Amino acid sequence: MVQKIIQIPRINDEPRDIATLFEIWSQVNGCHQNVRFDFSQCDFLRPNAVAFLGGLARLIESRRGKVVFDWDTLRNKAVKNNLRQNGFAGQFGYPSSGWEGNSIPYREDRTLDMNGIMDYLTFNWIGKGWVHVSERLRDAIAGRMWEIYNNAFEHSGSKIGVFTCGQHFWQQNDLILSVIDFGRGIPTNVRTFLRQYADEALVSKLSGAACLKWAFERGNSTCMGVIARGLGLDLLKEFVRINQGRLEVYSNEGYAIIDAGGEQYVNRDISFEGTLVHITLRCDEKLYHFKDEAKPPY
Amino acid sequence: MRLSIKDKIGQRCIIKDDGQKIYDAIIESLKQGETVTLDFDGVTQFASPFFNYAIGQLLKDINEVDLRHLLQLENLNETGKLVVERVIENAAQYHGDKDYRKIVDDILEQQSRESG
Repeated sequence: MVQKIIQIPRINDEPRDIATLFEIWSQVNGCHQNVRFDFSQCDFLRPNAVAFLGGLARLIESRRGKVVFDWDTLRNKAVKNNLRQNGFAGQFGYPSSGWEGNSIPYREDRTLDMNGIMDYLTFNWIGKGWVHVSERLRDAIAGRMWEIYNNAFEHSGSKIGVFTCGQHFWQQNDLILSVIDFGRGIPTNVRTFLRQYADEALVSKLSGAACLKWAFERGNSTCMGVIARGLGLDLLKEFVRINQGRLEVYSNEGYAIIDAGGEQYVNRDISFEGTLVHITLRCDEKLYHFKDEAKPPY
Repeated sequence: MRLSIKDKIGQRCIIKDDGQKIYDAIIESLKQGETVTLDFDGVTQFASPFFNYAIGQLLKDINEVDLRHLLQLENLNETGKLVVERVIENAAQYHGDKDYRKIVDDILEQQSRESG
């Protein structure tokens, strides 16, 4: 089988960086080839890229392709150290196991492992000590983050599961988490759902941004039945806004950004099959308190 | 009837399957007009899928006023209270027979306004 070589460039957190990831996805999606990832151009790699590349590797493998991360080409020590520390390198053939540090471990979930994911969120992410919160608030924040995983497993139809990575950045004092699935995507799900009730011609005109906006409204769900749902994204959105964090969702061609300034839903030129959720929390202790903890409300 | 949530499912009220277990355990008692107390002592983490199935689902059989009268929630912390209130509010307003055709029209109209 022919081997395709993919260059991994510097990848940050900006929308153009996410576009780079989607371009990489489009290079390997649909072609059944072995892939070698080359890091010789890479001097910076954020957790969203780590989670994305891990998921992409599993996607290629699920299509019987072989994936090699060419560790010999990774000459940037900081990137290499980070990928070793968060356990990604160890998962993909580098003889190293992760260790404690600023990185939040790279994680793969094939199935909805409630206790595993909640332990990760509770103790490895929010409860790691980057931000001093009470146990009660730590538990509350982890519960809100769970909604991302629930959505991914319940709605995405991802056959390879969900991929996560995070990091604490000392200089910005930001705590971030990226969760990615390679499922159908939220706009696709919304259109599929609405097609049951409305004309195909009309539904196909719904933009990715409009579909995302609908999905983020309280009470809206693509699951039919007698049980009311559609609160997960709303609860998450509320939490992020109150705490001056930022929630970004890239799904198909839609992009949503929610922060203290409001909500924006945008259509992008580049699309991918799946959903990337990126959360940024500020590690400012003044922000995180319950009402009865005598500080600004959560 | 009194049910310890921690004994029944543990200290995390997160997933819908656990919510369904609670629903199954209490629905008949509530339908017969018995008071049911759910004791959340020792439960520390909450998410909406659990409450959608454990409590929101009850509203298809019991109206909100009766439910609030018959179902007592004890030792539920502020996080749990917030989520359960949101779930009850959402379930009370929920109609499985929404006019989705009109919803599509509304979204398209808004989309057209925003792009114009």
